[in-house]
Amino acid sequence: MNQETTFSPAQASNNLSNELLLNSSLCLELDCALNIPMFFLLRSSFFNFGLGLFLLLICSIKLVFPTFCDGMSFLTYGRLFPVAYDFLIYGWAIPLGFALVLWFTSRFSQAVFTHTRVLVAAAHLWNAAVFLGSLAVLAGYGTSVPFLEYPNWASFLLLVSFLLMGVWVIFLIKQSTCRTLYVSQWYFLTFVCSFPWMYGTANMLLTWGKIQGSAQAPIQAWYGGSLVELCFTPVALGIIYYIIPKISGVKIYSYYLALCGFVSLLFLGGWSGLSLLVGAPIPAWMMSAGVVANTLISVSMLAVVVNFYYMLQESKKIIIQQSPALHFVAAGIIFYVIATFLSLLNTFPGFNALLNFTDYVSASLIVSLLGFFGMTLFAGVYYIIPRLTGISWFSSVMIRWHFWLSIIGISVMISSMVLGGIIEGAALNDSEITFTNILSYAQPWRFLISISWLILIVGFACFIRLLVMMRWQMIKEKLPMPQ
Amino acid sequence: MNQLRSLFLMIASFFFLSWFGIVIYSYIHLGHLRSVAGTDGLLPPEYNGSAVRGAHVYAVNGCMTCHTQQIRQLDVTHADIDRKWGERPSVPLDYLRDRTAFLGNIRIGPDLSNIGMRLTDPMKLYQHLYEPAQMVEGSIMPSYRYLFHLQKIQGEPSAYAIVLVGPHAPQLGYEIVPTRDVQDLVAYLLSLKHNYTFPEESHTAP
Repeated sequence: MNQETTFSPAQASNNLSNELLLNSSLCLELDCALNIPMFFLLRSSFFNFGLGLFLLLICSIKLVFPTFCDGMSFLTYGRLFPVAYDFLIYGWAIPLGFALVLWFTSRFSQAVFTHTRVLVAAAHLWNAAVFLGSLAVLAGYGTSVPFLEYPNWASFLLLVSFLLMGVWVIFLIKQSTCRTLYVSQWYFLTFVCSFPWMYGTANMLLTWGKIQGSAQAPIQAWYGGSLVELCFTPVALGIIYYIIPKISGVKIYSYYLALCGFVSLLFLGGWSGLSLLVGAPIPAWMMSAGVVANTLISVSMLAVVVNFYYMLQESKKIIIQQSPALHFVAAGIIFYVIATFLSLLNTFPGFNALLNFTDYVSASLIVSLLGFFGMTLFAGVYYIIPRLTGISWFSSVMIRWHFWLSIIGISVMISSMVLGGIIEGAALNDSEITFTNILSYAQPWRFLISISWLILIVGFACFIRLLVMMRWQMIKEKLPMPQ
Repeated sequence: MNQLRSLFLMIASFFFLSWFGIVIYSYIHLGHLRSVAGTDGLLPPEYNGSAVRGAHVYAVNGCMTCHTQQIRQLDVTHADIDRKWGERPSVPLDYLRDRTAFLGNIRIGPDLSNIGMRLTDPMKLYQHLYEPAQMVEGSIMPSYRYLFHLQKIQGEPSAYAIVLVGPHAPQLGYEIVPTRDVQDLVAYLLSLKHNYTFPEESHTAP
């Protein structure tokens, strides 16, 4: 394989510095071309994020007070909970991730995007599919396949609209005036290529056409694992690789480490989901493959994190202190380490026997989705919004509230899930303890989880307030609103 | 554009590895299992029509969000069997007749792989679905009242009326009867029992 020579360090660093030298008028032109789709994607994903958090708050209250909104079909826990997660994943994470990927790609390629209409239409289609799909699940048309709950027509629309959106990223890369690809672009391309592939395959075998029940477990796990490792993680890492050098002006510490991190993630990402099936009715080699992949993926995490660590070390303290985006990036990196550690622990059969099927499993998902991916996405948002609107963030207080409330919310949530999970697991393993007793042990932790959803909502409200303040400022100063 | 092409090829080939290893392997080797001949008929036994519809009711109401349907392998843990949730670990063949395999990934409620062995009285299941907290003290299961129908007693009370004691019990002169959906669901739950063992070779050959 000659990838090493293709992505040579000298070439790759050259590309970013080219990008760093972009003159401001070209930047403005690039941003203007993307304004309409960007604002649409940002607005809708923020709305879905708020909605998803709110629904998860209701779900968590229902676990503590089962009579809350009880007896209504569309608000029953089993329907509401998957819909809330789908709003976060398909309503917020993927479209927002895609928006950032598109924007960064256009910056890299220095090519003006001209096909806004198709993109906006595809984004509308995506949003409509998410909404109607969620309503259908609430109305009792869900499939009950984890993360693939949407009915067939909605998942088909999602796939089509993603293809219609994703193709523009590849188109932009092809338009590029630079001949080399920067690290972030490797990751972005991974996301754009792997999502339709995995979503299409998983739906084809699990929802559109159903294969025998005996073969569904590994495919469900493969989809879940790949979604985290080959969609969310690459987008987040790509954003971090872009933001740290851009804001602090340092170069990537080691391109070989970056390459190592990228290739190992690519190689292991698809297999890591199998580690959730330790003890499940699947062939033994699959379990072992999952355990091995999930163990080795921590090496991939280390390679990347060491790189980031030295980059942040080199950059000036004052820059880090003043940049909200770098704050969020740093938090994202820490959550990345925690997420990898939590899923690593759940991989080893001894721990797995204790922790599997408890709230601990949700902790792994939450810390990847909201901690690592979410914080990094917001870093990207804090980076691009001033560039899109042309005015800078003017309330550092609100940013600080958003940042700290998010950190506190996520930390309280994952610690209660982990501690609660350990207690539940220990109790589940003791057959003398009745199941309702286990529920009563879990109750205080689940109460804390509800509180932390509330904290997250308040943190997000601070962010929305900030956006509203900025919009107000623009109206007052009669700045033209793009769109 | 050579670089884009080689990057694309690299992503595609690595992705293909896991796709081929997991998806295609499962499709070929686990997706074409056949039922085996047991002492009285084929194993696993077929669901009846009502239970097949019941599995759909189970799916659309998201029971899988809180309940798993898998007994873990003995080399990982004995806890599931100690809890009497099953007599033996689950094997791929157990899911042969399922349209969707509801393995689940969290146990907010107990495992249901063998609920049909633990609860054999349909009335108990109806009562449990209607007013869980009355049946099991401390249960946090939501009520599935919306799967039942309230009707005025005309003449003789219905033979299908559910005996209820909780706050949502019907007023005098009214009765609660199960809808078709919940009848199917209960038929499905009652059929969830792995009280048979496969001949040894079907355990090992996936």
